[in-house]
Amino acid sequence: MYQEKTFFGKLKVFGIFGFIPLFAFCTVIVLPFLIGIYMTFTDWNGSASNSSYLGFVNYADAVRDPAFWTSMWLTLKYVVVNLILTNVLAFVLALLVTSGFKGQNFFRAGFFTPNLIGGIILGFVWQFIFSRVLVYFGSEFGWGLFSSSWLGDPDKALWALIVVGVWQNAGYMMLIYVAGLIGISGSLTEAAGLDGASWLRQLFSIKIPLMIPSFTISLFLTLQKSFMVYDTNLSLTKGDPFRSTELIAMHVYNEAFVNQNLGPGQAKAFILFAIVAIIAILQVSAMKKAEVEA
Amino acid sequence: MKKSLSILLILAFMVSVLAACGGGSDGGEEAGSKVEITVLVGKQEIAQQFEEMVKEYNESQDGANVTVVSTAGQNGYERITTLYAAGNAPTIMHFLSEFGEMQSKLADLSDQEWVQNANEGTLDYVTVDGKVYGMPMSVEAFGLLYNKSVLDQAVGGSFDPATIKTRDDLKALFDKIEATGAKAVEISPVDWSLGAHLTSVYMANESDTHEGRLQYIEDLKSGAADLNADEAFNGWLDTFDLLKEYNISKDAPLAALYDDGPMLLADGEVGTWFMGNWAYTQIKEIDPDGEYGFLPLPISNDASDPGNSSISVGVPEYWAIDKEQSTPEQQQAAKDFLNWMVSSEKGQDYYVNKFNFVPAYGNFAVKPQDPVSTSMMGYMEAGNTLAWMNNYYPPEAFPSMAASLQKYLSNNIDRAGLVKEFGDYWKSLG
Repeated sequence: MYQEKTFFGKLKVFGIFGFIPLFAFCTVIVLPFLIGIYMTFTDWNGSASNSSYLGFVNYADAVRDPAFWTSMWLTLKYVVVNLILTNVLAFVLALLVTSGFKGQNFFRAGFFTPNLIGGIILGFVWQFIFSRVLVYFGSEFGWGLFSSSWLGDPDKALWALIVVGVWQNAGYMMLIYVAGLIGISGSLTEAAGLDGASWLRQLFSIKIPLMIPSFTISLFLTLQKSFMVYDTNLSLTKGDPFRSTELIAMHVYNEAFVNQNLGPGQAKAFILFAIVAIIAILQVSAMKKAEVEA
Repeated sequence: MKKSLSILLILAFMVSVLAACGGGSDGGEEAGSKVEITVLVGKQEIAQQFEEMVKEYNESQDGANVTVVSTAGQNGYERITTLYAAGNAPTIMHFLSEFGEMQSKLADLSDQEWVQNANEGTLDYVTVDGKVYGMPMSVEAFGLLYNKSVLDQAVGGSFDPATIKTRDDLKALFDKIEATGAKAVEISPVDWSLGAHLTSVYMANESDTHEGRLQYIEDLKSGAADLNADEAFNGWLDTFDLLKEYNISKDAPLAALYDDGPMLLADGEVGTWFMGNWAYTQIKEIDPDGEYGFLPLPISNDASDPGNSSISVGVPEYWAIDKEQSTPEQQQAAKDFLNWMVSSEKGQDYYVNKFNFVPAYGNFAVKPQDPVSTSMMGYMEAGNTLAWMNNYYPPEAFPSMAASLQKYLSNNIDRAGLVKEFGDYWKSLG
């Protein structure tokens, strides 16, 4: 369609199609990111008009802070559990809503709905459920597990966060798996069926291998979302009890804005970026190798 | 021809985009003849009423037009730094502990009329080299809020808060409340209540002088203050043990929500709640005619201890005017607006009756009538007040101490553990 030979011709086409998104991307992503990296080497406090160069002091402060690693470890636990539960649930739901029963489209929409509600609202809704509704039923029917609010106990509060995270994200991942399942040609499963392959056999030998791209995307998205979770963390537990559910995004935010240590906070943010980027790149490249063609 | 035209268009577009982004407005254009000023209001509980007041002010004069800026979900100071960085600072803002960082950007307010009327001690925090840079928003108090009807029943007659002078008095009162079937006390485990307010009670009892109390915080940092041998601290901890023992949420102390407090107290399920006068707004909605007041939190068994008959009174926020990014006309308009707020009949009416503020000024013709404010002003007039030491804490002090107190409250650490965590935190600053 566009076969421009000259440099100006190419520039024109680029200007028409690519300039605005690129400009927006640079101004709201790349530029703040670079300024952020520069900030980690200064002692700027957020409101002073000048700042001086420090070198790696902020990074040293960041890695020496035990609370940072506690929070990182907690986040890692949260991510692993969330990753497994969300994707297992999403895949099972995807199998259910593509099995061809009546009204499956209604269920598809239903499972996807939690994703359309903002995390802050979700957090408050679930806070009400955990601290009032479940406690009411727990004391009414004598269920020991729910006799007191989960949000008041450090271990259970983390599980409360996981429950909400899974509930919020499973529907979205389900849609990706649904797309992957629908994309598998019927001739393959039909042929396998004629050869006597059971439903399970078909699932593990045909469907799952052909769906690796869906898994790649879903796992990447879940990984990134769970590492960066902040909104539900804020409205559900606010890091309480005694800061035991302060996930890493909240920890970085509090360090920078609540404790007003912008330099170390920004350094922590950059360390977090590096860790998540490395894990995500490893995950995607490992899974790319596993993809097969039908 | 066509080609060069389109390139020109693209270039023109780029330039215009860059120009739009590059040229920050100074926020000071005058619309018509009115001076435009902005007010940043971070207190959600008065946001709506404040808007109404500003609307009335704008209609009442034609010198200035005031616009309210919201905090857009950030906490006040974050929003302030964001706006400053964007070159769009609010003309009037309010904050407290950030005063030290902000002071160089603030206009001098020493010549304002309200400075003469401000209650004694309310300007200490914002006075630097004899110049005043902030205007007290209101005064607030915290202590043991009590529901009089529950306590009347407990003591069999009309309850007088002056009878509580020692920890044993308080314990006896708690036992009497429990004998009636109600519970004695509710502790809200929110970090600001435990980490800032509750700890302030003992720090204020450390010394009779302002300098002495500030010195105490320095001693904590340097490690010179030994918490184990600290009389006020240990007395305060004994009182906290008492509260902990009689806490209605004893089984799951950290699951209690702030919103439980007003309900429990107003319904008479508990007799007392460690909280401040701001909670009365919610209590009033449930129990509009009930009598409520403050009890001191005694931290020793010596009835002559002044701290045992005092509640903590302080200024929660100060209004301040920006001089860095605002024109002299804007600063003047801002001063006029602040003055109007605390001196005109309309402004005072809003202040007292709509915002439910207890004014920090002696010249208010309008006085708060509600029982909690009355109780609070009784303490203030008698001089039975403790300073708010939490105003002098470093920013991460209250979350750290609150975390330790929450662990202690839920029996995750013992007394020795609490003392150690407190000491370690303060020494980490030294």
